[in-house]
Amino acid sequence: MKDIINAIVSIIIVCVLLFVANDYLDKSSGKAGSDTVTVYNWGEYIDPDLIKQFEEESGYRVVYETFDSNEAMMTKIEQGGTSYDIAVPSEYAIEKMKKNHLLLPIDHSKIPNLKNIDPYFLDLSFDPKNEYSLPYFWGTVGIVYNPSLLDGQTFDSWEALWDPSLKGQVLLVDGAREVIGMGLNSLGYSLNSTDDKELQEASAKLKKLTPNVKAIIGDEVTQLMVNGEAPVALTWSGQAADMMSENDELDYAVPEEGSNLWFDNMVIPKTAANIDGAHAFINFMLGAEVAAQNADYVGYSTPNKAAMGLLDEEVTSNERFYPTEEMRDNLEVYNDLGPKMLGKYNELFLKFKMGKN
Amino acid sequence: MEKISKSAKLYLALVFIVLYAPILYLIFYSFNSGDAMNNFESFTWEHYADVFSDTRLIMILINTVIVALLSALLATIIGVFGSIGIVYMRNKSIRNSILSLNNVLIVSPDVVIGASFLILFTMVGVKLGFASVLMSHIAFSIPIVVLMVLPKLQEMNSSLIDAAADLGATRRDIFTRVIIPFIKPGIFAGFFMALTYSLDDFAVTFFVTGNGFSTLSVEIYSMARTGVTLTINALSGIIFFVTLILVVGYYFISQRGKNPAGMGGRK
Repeated sequence: MKDIINAIVSIIIVCVLLFVANDYLDKSSGKAGSDTVTVYNWGEYIDPDLIKQFEEESGYRVVYETFDSNEAMMTKIEQGGTSYDIAVPSEYAIEKMKKNHLLLPIDHSKIPNLKNIDPYFLDLSFDPKNEYSLPYFWGTVGIVYNPSLLDGQTFDSWEALWDPSLKGQVLLVDGAREVIGMGLNSLGYSLNSTDDKELQEASAKLKKLTPNVKAIIGDEVTQLMVNGEAPVALTWSGQAADMMSENDELDYAVPEEGSNLWFDNMVIPKTAANIDGAHAFINFMLGAEVAAQNADYVGYSTPNKAAMGLLDEEVTSNERFYPTEEMRDNLEVYNDLGPKMLGKYNELFLKFKMGKN
Repeated sequence: MEKISKSAKLYLALVFIVLYAPILYLIFYSFNSGDAMNNFESFTWEHYADVFSDTRLIMILINTVIVALLSALLATIIGVFGSIGIVYMRNKSIRNSILSLNNVLIVSPDVVIGASFLILFTMVGVKLGFASVLMSHIAFSIPIVVLMVLPKLQEMNSSLIDAAADLGATRRDIFTRVIIPFIKPGIFAGFFMALTYSLDDFAVTFFVTGNGFSTLSVEIYSMARTGVTLTINALSGIIFFVTLILVVGYYFISQRGKNPAGMGGRK
């Protein structure tokens, strides 16, 4: 009995010590209020030094939390029970959250740094007049490839993926919108198409791609491409940038027929407890130097025009990650298609996958 | 100890290689000066330095340990009393149904448990954070503790209790001096099982974290989009070695405690 009591006492002592240590590390642990800003962002999607800098400059304390998918983030916000002041969803998620009344409007008069943003990235279809969201990072969907494993093919056109010489070599991301979108784009249709005939055509076209597909996978794409185990993959520009920084043989292309242009924007969820703090944070993140430092750390493309001047010339002149406006004209933003149409996309994608596996 | 044959030794060695290779591979790359786990560039302590300079990561680690220790402790206490209650229950059919309910909780998927907790907590109005995580960890650990303690209790000869009562032991004496010492191995096993369950639980925790409170499993999972950094390798290495030291330490202490004076469960 005595050693059990000893064990209980020592566990409690260890816990108390850990509590004290935690409190020492951060006085703000777990408490949301008027002097804290709770930020809900993707994992590894901010330079941690910037959080410290914001805390010093504004006097707010930042509670930082991370999520891994738009859906997970939306569920947390919809359920309540938390008080996130800032979240960073992608465009289709913003449209959905707006419909479900999960967002608070942003007061533009409190965001003087808004002037830094390239007008091209404002007033977009998913959030007209940027009433609820302001841009954080953006990118494209395209093809990352390894020229040393190919014989001189380039991927200026989606059609190149259908080349018989690529039998069993192509990797695809496991996303219905991305893959069906590719099918639609390759036929010259919009990737937001709701036309049944166009969708059927796209799915028939995708069926012909089946012999070329090596696998339909998630994040493992990065490892496979970096290790040179596959020559070509459909992926997002940010992920492609990651791969290219680890293996400089790789290259990235956005096909001419068009592709997806995506955005991750900052929003203020309706659960926010500190609306002033949220505005201060958004304004801080849109500052030229801050945005440049963040883009440098994260590696995605910044919509911040003023920050572009501060970034390495080599990065910003790289048309693969900062396509010119002309090239962007071919790109399309995802619309929220509604649950019924999305179900259709998922069904077609599932059929395509089953034909494969 | 009996001698084991060569092939048995070889088999054992193979099993251990399979079990430990991934962990050692991961630790090996925590010393890589490059950015990824594909080619080893040169030796560096950089990622270990990163772990200690990242206060957020350290806080998350501390959170994880606090939740694991506290939830395992409370679950063990509740579980031990629960098992004693179950064993000495008169009505057989009620006892069996309680046992089945206990088993249902063990086999039901974590996602279901996590989602139900999320719904419950938001309905009742519990703020998501430390308290909600702790409560759900206690809840899913209790059935495990019961499962570890129950066999020990059933093994115990009921004449031990009769004998103690005949010798004038009060109910309290019987509990602290007969039952608890007898089931002590089960209690410790239950505690350590609950501890490990809590440490690596992702699915339940994922649903009930919030307000700046997060645990290691949830944090690592959220790195999926940009890739897990080698800092996590370094952190895993540290955790692995701390665990190793604790286990080895425990072994030596228990060896020393095995001198003739310490026979039996009475101390």
